[in-house]
Amino acid sequence: MKLEAKVDGSAAKFEVNGARLRYERNGQAVEREYSIAALAPGSYSVLIEGRSYSVISVEGAIRVNGRPFAVEIFDPRQMRGRGAGAFGEGRRSIASPMPGKVVRVLVSAGETVEAGQGLVVVEAMKMQNEMKSPKAGKVVEVKAKADATVQAGEVLVVIE
Amino acid sequence: MFRKVLVANRGEIAVRIIRALREFGISSVAVYSDADRASLAVRMADEAAHLGPAPSSESYLRIDKIIDAAKRHGAEAIHPGYGFLSENAEFAEACAAAGIVFIGPPPSAIRRMGSKTAARQVAIAAGAPVVPGTKEPLGEIEEAKRIAGEIGYPVLLKASAGGGGKGMRRVDREADLESALRDARSEALRAFRNDEVYVEKLVLEPRHIEIQVLGDHHGHMIHLGERECSIQRRHQKVIEECPSPVMLAHPELREKMGAAALKIARAAGYANAGTMEFLVDRDRNFYFLEMNTRLQVEHPVTELATSLDLVHWQLRIAAGEPLTIRQEDVQWRGSAIECRIYAEDPANNYLPSPGKITYLEQPSGPGIRLDSGVYQGWTVPLDYDPMLAKMAVWAPSREAAIERMRRALGEYVVEGIRTNIAWFDGILADECFRAGELSTAFLDRFKPPAAEAADLETEAVAVLIASLKEAKTPAPAPAKSSAWLAIGRAEMMR
Repeated sequence: MKLEAKVDGSAAKFEVNGARLRYERNGQAVEREYSIAALAPGSYSVLIEGRSYSVISVEGAIRVNGRPFAVEIFDPRQMRGRGAGAFGEGRRSIASPMPGKVVRVLVSAGETVEAGQGLVVVEAMKMQNEMKSPKAGKVVEVKAKADATVQAGEVLVVIE
Repeated sequence: MFRKVLVANRGEIAVRIIRALREFGISSVAVYSDADRASLAVRMADEAAHLGPAPSSESYLRIDKIIDAAKRHGAEAIHPGYGFLSENAEFAEACAAAGIVFIGPPPSAIRRMGSKTAARQVAIAAGAPVVPGTKEPLGEIEEAKRIAGEIGYPVLLKASAGGGGKGMRRVDREADLESALRDARSEALRAFRNDEVYVEKLVLEPRHIEIQVLGDHHGHMIHLGERECSIQRRHQKVIEECPSPVMLAHPELREKMGAAALKIARAAGYANAGTMEFLVDRDRNFYFLEMNTRLQVEHPVTELATSLDLVHWQLRIAAGEPLTIRQEDVQWRGSAIECRIYAEDPANNYLPSPGKITYLEQPSGPGIRLDSGVYQGWTVPLDYDPMLAKMAVWAPSREAAIERMRRALGEYVVEGIRTNIAWFDGILADECFRAGELSTAFLDRFKPPAAEAADLETEAVAVLIASLKEAKTPAPAPAKSSAWLAIGRAEMMR
């Protein structure tokens, strides 16, 4: 089975065939015999020619002997043209970088803001974090509500 | 001894105290807010009492609710842990009024040592050194010159109403004093609408070293030596050790600082466990800063180095037993280091990272002590301090303890939330840290080492595991049956 991957931002090729694997990145390749044991959900032991690797893979985060890797896998058979992002001309969403509670909303829809101006204050674990506007513009939408709980990545304000 | 004790805290310290209670055959009562219903402390305790909603102000800080829970459960004593109500004299008094023993110092000692300025006065009266300076606002320039001259340069001008570095000026020589004073005053006026400025000695690159004291209610008190707590970020300790590297080279400093700490504690009428914090300069002059009238977060390093159990002694002392250890019985053996494990993201400005722990592997083996308040599947609430656990190690030497800590951190896996576990390795590998050259400015200058490039084989392993989910989608023509395919398919069935 042949796959394409992106590892820490670099394109790579990966192939597994029976007990052998082949991995290639930037013109360099390794070809090895491997063995895998699945230990517990998300936990694996991999042996490659007698060298032991402990791997934790939870919700897309992969750690090999403690070292984190960002890995994306593409199956070339299923690859389709990927369109550009949904973000149009200069619209920017400001999202919460952490789960927390909205302490204060500092702007309202229709208001013009400067680059660096505070928009919303989110608090988690006794630490307050002020989300600032990445650019000068107009507040299109305020989704954040004071005292509401927000998840990481949840959009708080949209600036245009 | 008590038969039942309520633990008025949460997280790892509640677990720590419940363990000590069990070792003494004492029943434990945990308390919990809505966010902590499923906490490890509640699971481990014999009994548990609900306090209220998640915010501390409606739960762990509610004196009335905690006293009420203690009465309902028939607890004879309350251990406050650290933080929350542990240094609240009103709480200690409320316990006494309800006929419940507060496991800590007398309320009068909490009050006396609770305010920085009052504690400074107690220390001065007891003849212990404090950072030289006034605290009284400076008057005319001639007076400022006289006082600064007496203290000795460099000095620091500070705004009386101040904070955050506003109205603060370092002055290295008398010639610069007048303009610095003018600048500090105008800055203070703008920032705080108050132009009062005082002067104190600037302690250059100080170490933060504290002394543990332990006293009974029969007039006997000892010190258990120091903890070096210089590795701090935003005034929050992250690594602590006992002994301090400076005491390893200069053992007489422990005797001097221990004697000073005991003088202050006696003057305050102190009993039970407490800690005196000091600044220590490069010439090993030390200055009293403040007292913590409670069990300290980093108490495990003292316990590992002295083989004494501070929580056991807190319980025995509160129950009225005499402290049977003499000063000359206290011995320090080997080296202990502690790392505070926080739910935060060092790669993203240390933003807090609450959430569910989806995977957890904890270190073990020789010399490891893990005081943790979490388990796999626990959701770390966003309402409280981000500390998950304290990992402490003991080894015969400081060098061996550092390597043991690096080994243990390598075994520690927490997934689902971000932690600072991997961040410690760069500090522990740092030459200055290993040489014991520490100061509270250490982390300001510290640059984490760049991650080494992974070798191709390790990357291949990462991709091998990441691609298992591709094996779940039935491939039209699998080349050969493989372990990869078998495991990938098996996981699909789960």
